[in-house]
Amino acid sequence: MLSILYACANNTSIARKHPMEVSGMPNCAECHNEQWKLLNHQAPDFFKKHGRFAGSNQTSCTTCHTRSFCSDCHTRKDELKPSLKHSGSPQRNFPHRADYMTQHKIDGRINPASCTKCHGRQNNARCIACHR
Amino acid sequence: MRGNYINRFRWLRNLPLRRALGVLAVGTLLMSAHQAYAADTTYTGEFNTLLRMGKDAGKRNLYPVYEYLRLQTNTTLKDGSDVSFQFGGWGRLDLADKSSSQVTDGDVQYALLSYQGAKNNLVINLGRQFVAEGVATELLDGLYLRQDLKAGFGAAAYVGKPVMTTVQEKTVDTVYGARLSHTMPAYYAIGASVLKSDRGSERYREEAGIDVWARPITDLDLTGRTSYNSITSGWMEHAYALSYAPLESLKLSVDLANINYRHYFHNMTMSAFSLKNGIINPDENMVSVGGSVAYNLTKNLTVTADFKNYAYNIIGESNYYGGKVSYRLPDSLLAGAGFYRMDGATSRLRYNELRAYVSKMLGKTDLTADFITLMYDKSVAGVKNSYIVTGAASHAFGKKVKVGADIEYSRTPDFDNQLRGILKLSYLFDTTP
Repeated sequence: MLSILYACANNTSIARKHPMEVSGMPNCAECHNEQWKLLNHQAPDFFKKHGRFAGSNQTSCTTCHTRSFCSDCHTRKDELKPSLKHSGSPQRNFPHRADYMTQHKIDGRINPASCTKCHGRQNNARCIACHR
Repeated sequence: MRGNYINRFRWLRNLPLRRALGVLAVGTLLMSAHQAYAADTTYTGEFNTLLRMGKDAGKRNLYPVYEYLRLQTNTTLKDGSDVSFQFGGWGRLDLADKSSSQVTDGDVQYALLSYQGAKNNLVINLGRQFVAEGVATELLDGLYLRQDLKAGFGAAAYVGKPVMTTVQEKTVDTVYGARLSHTMPAYYAIGASVLKSDRGSERYREEAGIDVWARPITDLDLTGRTSYNSITSGWMEHAYALSYAPLESLKLSVDLANINYRHYFHNMTMSAFSLKNGIINPDENMVSVGGSVAYNLTKNLTVTADFKNYAYNIIGESNYYGGKVSYRLPDSLLAGAGFYRMDGATSRLRYNELRAYVSKMLGKTDLTADFITLMYDKSVAGVKNSYIVTGAASHAFGKKVKVGADIEYSRTPDFDNQLRGILKLSYLFDTTP
């Protein structure tokens, strides 16, 4: 344990709370000039990359987002689609918009691996209702 | 009558809350103990109540009311570190006909005690939490630790019991893993991670992977990950994306992904993705190559063109391509439209997709309209064009209270001329000065 503490970087942690209130989908590059500018939420490929950023240091996300921001989509059990809970944010890249009862059969063929990032790999009550 | 009413709340006894309540009790105790050392404590919360109204395909009247509850308390200690307790969960009560097999249902999405150090990005989480560390994207009841080490190194580890929503098979005992990373903030971050899970004496999951972000030159960055299944001895996934912005207004992206179904879906117990029930073919292998060009015509107006090719061992090839335009005036107007074509080898994978939306903010009132249509080459259940149009309005009363209503009309292969509504009420509280 002591050797681990000795090996600490002794750097200052990322701020627990962003010093300025940020709303909407920010372009972090408007203020930041270092690696934070990569977190431009308006970039067309940000949705594709957000998991990589969250997977390397979640504290960079929790500076602005509460944990519920993740659980809106990454939840093993929920009955309301994210787009339904946040219908006033049509610009966000929510999966399952529109008629997902039909579309899920299509998306499931295109890339079923993408489903597991949110729905997990364990038994899921919603799937079992039809897929037995 | 009274008995029926009591029965409606019997689910409370069955909720997977016991462990979460245990964490709550420990959390409350520790938070109280920390008061002596605390510089300041804040309490925040969010109550979201939603009432859905409509009929299902069987013409039953569905009026489920949902409550989403978020609670968080943060205590900042004198050394700048932070102790918090975070809770998120939802519950549902059917006011008319049953919307699922149960009149009531609910779930604890997260409930954890968290310590965030003032130095070294130290994080210690105990409780139900979503862990994303390299190969792991797990919801678990357990312990998570991470810390920056010297010379750009960092380490994270976790152990816990996976959260399962329905238990059909023997449950997994534990899942545990770690990620070691090295970072040069301006140039790269690379991580190596492992995950292991046991089910009794059975080797259930053994995964290893690397993840990378690199910016060898300004305006060019690479992100990606590779994962390996050491039980089946094969690569599960490769997924990489490269972006280049030669101009401030222009961004070019390419991505490459490969999923090997035999290795990726091995021992997956979610019924839709199990290799045991014939839905997923273990011999399938998917390779996708895509690209996009995004150009800001003005600061507020962006046009994007996308292309993606999917190649499969068994079901042939599909191409997905199209473009979209989006316009945004911060705190005033959002609008967008897009048209995409999916051109696949099977009839299910041949359709056009059109979407248009607009959202206007008028003071404290937000108005949104969203239209999506899918035009199938070959009709599905007698429907050639499916569409959904949604209208949403909300009004904020100060910073704490917001009320809203949505109305949705759809014509789809599963629902003919369906009209649904939602009433929403949200309440926030925050004691942050």
